[in-house]
Amino acid sequence: MLSRSRKFRTNKQILIGLLMVGTFVVVALIAPWLAPQPDPTDTSPFKITGQQFQRLPGPPTAESPLGTTPQIRNMPLYGLKPGQDSSYQWDVYYTLIWGTRSALYFGLLVTFLTSMIGITIGTVSGYLGGTAEYLMMRVTDAFLAFPAIAAIWLFQRVFFENLFDPFMDYDQLSWWELTLERARIDPVMLTLIVFSWMPYARLMNNMVSQIKKNEYVQAAKVMGASGWHIILQHLLPNSISPTVVLAARDVGVMVILACAFIFIGFGGRVAWGIMLVTSRDFVIGYGGNPFVYWWSFVPISLALILFSMGWNFLGDGLNDALNPHRRY
Amino acid sequence: MSSFGKFLLGRILAIPVTLFIITFGIFAIITTAPPEELATLYFPPNIRSSMPPEMIQAKIDQIIEEHGLDDPLPVQYVHWIGNLIKGDWGWSPTFNGDVLPLLKQRTPVSAELTFYSLIFLFPVALVIGLIAGWLQGGRFDSTYRFTAFLGLSIPPFILGLFLISVFYVGLHWFPLGRTGIHGLLYSPTSDFVSYTGFLTIDGLLNGRLDVTVDAARRLVLPVLTLSFLYWATISRVTRVAVIEEKNKDYIVFAKARGLKQRTIVGRHAFRNAMLPSLTIGILSAASIITGVFVVERVFDLKGLSGLLVGSFVGVPDTPMTLGFAVYSTLLVIPIMFILDLLRGVIDPRLREGD
Repeated sequence: MLSRSRKFRTNKQILIGLLMVGTFVVVALIAPWLAPQPDPTDTSPFKITGQQFQRLPGPPTAESPLGTTPQIRNMPLYGLKPGQDSSYQWDVYYTLIWGTRSALYFGLLVTFLTSMIGITIGTVSGYLGGTAEYLMMRVTDAFLAFPAIAAIWLFQRVFFENLFDPFMDYDQLSWWELTLERARIDPVMLTLIVFSWMPYARLMNNMVSQIKKNEYVQAAKVMGASGWHIILQHLLPNSISPTVVLAARDVGVMVILACAFIFIGFGGRVAWGIMLVTSRDFVIGYGGNPFVYWWSFVPISLALILFSMGWNFLGDGLNDALNPHRRY
Repeated sequence: MSSFGKFLLGRILAIPVTLFIITFGIFAIITTAPPEELATLYFPPNIRSSMPPEMIQAKIDQIIEEHGLDDPLPVQYVHWIGNLIKGDWGWSPTFNGDVLPLLKQRTPVSAELTFYSLIFLFPVALVIGLIAGWLQGGRFDSTYRFTAFLGLSIPPFILGLFLISVFYVGLHWFPLGRTGIHGLLYSPTSDFVSYTGFLTIDGLLNGRLDVTVDAARRLVLPVLTLSFLYWATISRVTRVAVIEEKNKDYIVFAKARGLKQRTIVGRHAFRNAMLPSLTIGILSAASIITGVFVVERVFDLKGLSGLLVGSFVGVPDTPMTLGFAVYSTLLVIPIMFILDLLRGVIDPRLREGD
């Protein structure tokens, strides 16, 4: 039973979470009106402004309300057209608005795919039991022992060699390369998908092996229900709620991880991360004043923090609402 | 055999299985590349610089022939893993050296950071989680919840850069990097012997307190950044476990018996509440190592991550990429193993299961 104060806090948390996440979703949807682009067909999250060969961030002006950052040369930036790879200035406000789209897309897609993989493996292994479960859980444990960062470059070398070539010819790409390109999957995304499904699998495996022992599941089995029927009708609905909480929290975590990987030099497509790379050298500022070029990193960092806070709030609220007895 | 011996044996036997699955997976991915590219795994050191192109091609053909790079995957895998065990990890063209010595040489930096972070992180997270859970709903708890929220939401590199700009640029309290310019004076000389590779410990063993103090000062900011990242996850689980634990019958009974608050918390609740946090520690061991690499980049520590980042500028460096992937798994496994053993020590039930 929920006490009155806890019920209130739960609602408040979900509300705050929904409000924050909702704001980002709305911003992403109305981006073309908030930050209109010169060429309506161009959906690149970066707008090139100002002069070429600028080496310092440009302060806020009427044209670019949050200032600009100089683009870093010779960095494997993914998803840029040839010719954009020189040191023009990038508009911060524009990236802030349009980057919401890429962050949401990245977080939601990665979380959706990882949770699907994890739930499938966890449920099937929990349902089957025995040797199959042992083998599947060993594989899960093995994946847990591998630091994701070491795989990014591997994937980039093997799967993205042609896609990173700025002068690539679309006709010469193979079908899976085209799929990766159309789904806007980058090496960082692929790595996070492959190496973050394990918590879901372990959680589902735990829940399912407990619920499997319940009488109503046994009864359904005795009555001759098929395996898929039992999994879909009895096991999944009763064990999914902790996974939902984990997924809600993961959206923010995934975007943060992606930005961290992009920050240390991997090719990724989360626009906020790429912009933080361009402002990396100016965070420290000069003359002992770290906020000389504040516009080059403060707005984007704040957006990133608020983004993941929103999803965390949502996850916590859902947690108290869905699992009142066992809170993860 | 005692139950603990069995538990230990089972855990030790699980390590080769894990390693097999990981190495096989990595190798299966890399073999989708054509044999010519795989041949770089077995290049002798001087092939690129000192040979004309047609001789390189002949050499590549010879390597493909010699190492059976057209063979089916399992055969190639056995060959490769045999080389790994022999210590032949290939030659890295970007760093102009053998992969294994390069990795070994840089290990102490990463290991030192990981070691101190874990030593600092776990006790702090456990104690804070315990207090917050025991005083649930109080002022300490709500402050804790807010801070934990920040810990989960602030990206490590932003926190790191913030700490740098405040404590390094602003206040000049802590220097950056692994050693300062005077590090050159004591790195490979005969009167400063490197016993462990950890500068903090080597300084003490050599009787050079200044080295220890300097190394410790340089570690403060990275350790804080890394701990703040994982502290929230671990203490949060501890807090929930304590809240669950404190409503259980045996705690209520202990209270009714008139035991002191401190005895109840310390002896009964804490022991059981530690288990979930250890489990989370095992689950996030790999991501802690990932965090170590990110933090190393931000604070300019010349650790293993330098090899990873260095290997993707310039020529394709398959030996280093593969070697790094295998080696970083070797770093994660001891952490998982130790935490797992701790779990077995605390909870006798675990020794009977599995």
